[in-house]
Amino acid sequence: MSELRAQLLEWRAAVTRRLPPWWSRGLAGLLIVFGIILPFLFPSSGGFLNATIIAVAYAVMSLGLNVVVGFAGLLDLGYVAFYALGAYSLGWFGSGFFFKAQVHVGVSPVASTLPGIHLNFVLILIAAALICAGAGAVIGLPTLRLRGDYIAIVTLAFGEIIGVLAVNGQSIHVGSGMTLTAGNLGISAVDSPYFPGIGSFGLLDLRPWYWLIFAVLLIVLFVNLRLRDSRLGRAWVALREDEVAAVSMGIPLVKTKLLAYAIGAAFGGMSGAFFGTYYTVVNAAQFQFGFSIFILAMVIIGGLGSIWGAVVGGLALGYINNYLIPDVLNNIPSKLGFNFQLTAVEFGIFGFLLVIMMVLRPQGLIPERRRQLELTAEIAAADAQLAEVPGIAGGGT
Amino acid sequence: METTTISASPVAAITRPLAAVRRSVGRWGLIAALAALPIYYGITDLTNGYPAGVVAGHAVIHHDLSKLGFNFAEGLSNGAIWALIAIGYTLVYGIIELINFAHGDVFMIGSFTAVGLWGTLGLGLTTGALGLVGGLLVTLVITMIVTGSLNVLIERVAYRPLRGAPKLAALITAVGFSFILQNVGLLWRGGSPQSVNDLIRSQQPVFTIGGVPILRGYILALAVMIPLVFALTWFINQTRAGRAMRATAQDPEAARLMGVNVNATISLTFLLGGMLAGAAGLVYALYETNVWYFQGFKAGLIAFTAAVMGGIGNVRGAVLGGLIIGVIQSLADSRLGPQWTEAVVFGYLIAIMVLRPRGLLGEETREAG
Amino acid sequence: MSATETPAPPAVAIMRAEHVTKQFGGLVAVNEVSFDVPQHSIVSLIGPNGAGKTTLFNILTGLYRPTEGRILLGERDITHARPDQITKHGVARTFQNIRLFGAMTAVENVMVGHHARMRAGLFGSIFRPPWVRREERETRERARELLAYVGLREPVFERLAAQLPYGDQRRVEIARALASEPRMLLLDEPTAGMNPQESQALTEFMRAMRDDLKLTILLIEHDMKVVMGVSERVTVLDYGRKIAEGEPAVVRADPAVIEAYLGKQDS
Repeated sequence: MSELRAQLLEWRAAVTRRLPPWWSRGLAGLLIVFGIILPFLFPSSGGFLNATIIAVAYAVMSLGLNVVVGFAGLLDLGYVAFYALGAYSLGWFGSGFFFKAQVHVGVSPVASTLPGIHLNFVLILIAAALICAGAGAVIGLPTLRLRGDYIAIVTLAFGEIIGVLAVNGQSIHVGSGMTLTAGNLGISAVDSPYFPGIGSFGLLDLRPWYWLIFAVLLIVLFVNLRLRDSRLGRAWVALREDEVAAVSMGIPLVKTKLLAYAIGAAFGGMSGAFFGTYYTVVNAAQFQFGFSIFILAMVIIGGLGSIWGAVVGGLALGYINNYLIPDVLNNIPSKLGFNFQLTAVEFGIFGFLLVIMMVLRPQGLIPERRRQLELTAEIAAADAQLAEVPGIAGGGT
Repeated sequence: METTTISASPVAAITRPLAAVRRSVGRWGLIAALAALPIYYGITDLTNGYPAGVVAGHAVIHHDLSKLGFNFAEGLSNGAIWALIAIGYTLVYGIIELINFAHGDVFMIGSFTAVGLWGTLGLGLTTGALGLVGGLLVTLVITMIVTGSLNVLIERVAYRPLRGAPKLAALITAVGFSFILQNVGLLWRGGSPQSVNDLIRSQQPVFTIGGVPILRGYILALAVMIPLVFALTWFINQTRAGRAMRATAQDPEAARLMGVNVNATISLTFLLGGMLAGAAGLVYALYETNVWYFQGFKAGLIAFTAAVMGGIGNVRGAVLGGLIIGVIQSLADSRLGPQWTEAVVFGYLIAIMVLRPRGLLGEETREAG
Repeated sequence: MSATETPAPPAVAIMRAEHVTKQFGGLVAVNEVSFDVPQHSIVSLIGPNGAGKTTLFNILTGLYRPTEGRILLGERDITHARPDQITKHGVARTFQNIRLFGAMTAVENVMVGHHARMRAGLFGSIFRPPWVRREERETRERARELLAYVGLREPVFERLAAQLPYGDQRRVEIARALASEPRMLLLDEPTAGMNPQESQALTEFMRAMRDDLKLTILLIEHDMKVVMGVSERVTVLDYGRKIAEGEPAVVRADPAVIEAYLGKQDS
């Protein structure tokens, strides 16, 4: 079995050697172009485009969580909190919810006449990112000295508390008869994104929505790639690998970890704000613990710490959850004689996928570049270590 | 145990006093924080009184401790259920340093199995006392076997293959299994809470202490928990297998060298934890008279909080933690409203993790790295 | 002691420990230890296993906070400083059990060592203005230079640290420590696992480092040959207490030291 693997790796290395040095960039460019023209290949209001939009938004979330769990190695099980805060940022600053206020910045002529706070979607994105960055730092603060599984529990607890606040927010008054949230009823009638020259996004033509979230994805992707190969990115990996050694090398623990939480949260918030406007409602029932695990599954299945892995994981699970299971495969159990729909066992399917993934391929579909080096170098290293007798001629080969 | 020291910086303005608070909190600080809630409400009950019904259009205000007493009675009984589940968490964590995320759902399967057995055994509202007791005992035994085996199975399939892998992998698998089990529950009894026969009339008061009615359900919960905890403690302390468990929890490698079959010991730990969760499941079904596929997730988090509060790895701590959490829950339910209870419990969890991760009775834990 | 050099008259102490005590619950690991390390010297810290040497190292580098006493680096009190701050002030270390970042290459490991001397922050990392790009380039080049300096060869540079042979890993660790541009280097059992030739090479290398890079070196060692060969001063700990200090030959003959080792001397 490992011989087969070695053979495959060699073929892959041989092929990669033959490609011109810019091949990975070329591939990325091709994917981006494909991404841009994608809406023209499918009906503009169909289920597939809808699923794609949601999948891309999940990919943004996945990239965010990947910073926290993948880069910095901090197991955050409460990521739903940032989805919630991002969505509420939209609910607060892009609707008539705070009806006593009259703030309008860069919104459509229609929205300019409505009560409430109405900011341009780009401003809301920024607000969501900032709010979530702050919240991420606050949530991360108590976890700084804790070991891995305790970090998981504390972040999970925070996620649940945010959920409780979302539901009970309808009885938390913030002045002049306004409340913090609208609980399970939800903040509805939220603004659609509006850009001068393009107008307001409607619900029939999904293409502008797609391009919007695709643009967000590209931005988040860019930031991720830059961070990964930077001083900060290395610091995160160092802390993840060996915290004691990392601080001894001059990496400030608190600041570096908090930055990971904050950045990861900011991405989640941006995606959350998008979901808020895309679903046209922000209600507390959207924010359950299961969502945190869902996003975590994307990161894990894609490949912990791997940027492209996070994107692939997000897209894959997004499609499975919103298209494959409900639209394509839903009737399979009934065809097999069972009397339930596939959506009913969705949970179980995800659970099963997680278990299988961890047992068979814990490094994910697209392993982190560094772990990938590990895999390809495995054979060479095995040979080297067999030949190496400790203590003799310590110099390198 | 490596601690890093803090010096001047804006974040240090928060973390340095925090570290100082942490050191001084200690066990008594934690106890004080826990006792604060009941003491506060006891005092307000006595001074301001609390509403206890309406007579002739006027609200009746009592100035006694019986509402607090009720909180304790209800709390300790609910807490007994959490204690049984918490023991499972604490045993597993003590031996392989893993949070068995699926444990709460094993509890749920226990409830479902018990209710199913009632049907099979023909236990109903009209069953005579003797038949009922006998039937429930049979249900208890079978349920415990089922859940114990389920827990062992999960360990074999999900955790053992990943024993060498990073902890994250095992945690993920645990979560995966949790979802699988929840889905099983969902398919078995649907998505909404399902009410079941109130076989023992759990809300019927048996006697009253100081104005606080002691219900059958309370007695049931404690009557099941106390013997099981004693049996478990005896087992761990007095038998060879129990000694093996303790040794493996302290140092698996050394235990292995001393001839302990570590794999079998770990399976045994899962078996015992699973059995207790099954017992808890039966008690829950009798006490709450409804079951729900999602009950395991909720119970799991509460029980885990209890295990941590008492001191992870410590059975007595798990029991203590469970009882305390039960009381806190009851207080939050009746004073703040059930919509806030979860936030209160988790608030306590976070506070404990930050200020005293080893809980009330636990040993100093390794914190970072 | 180094044969050809007479030690300079009372050198400035670069680091001084004053009455440092460290207690873990009931165990006193370090007991009222006072000593100083003269600038540009090579000082060895020796003692039987469990004497508290690594604990003392951990205190000096900020991983532990002493129960009592204080530590001075030059004029600065670093008793309460964090490890990353101490590194910034010019103290770097290696570890008894090698602690490299396994998921990173040798070069990246050394680049991490340079973290405290770099200035690129969050926004610098994202937008990569010219100064950041230059900083990255220079850091990478410097890392490669350091790896070469410690005796590694090109093909090894981009290998994952976890895959390097033991001897190479030790060298990478030293290169990583040097990357922080320290004034003082703490080496925890640097010759562990080495054969006599390698130990000798390392001894000479330590002298070279001290001279080339103007370093002060404090090392924990069990190999007496190394200790005798490279140190200008030897400090001996036993059960957490300092029991002897002075020139190597003197310390070696000290009856208290001999007794502490109970004849279990390596040589």
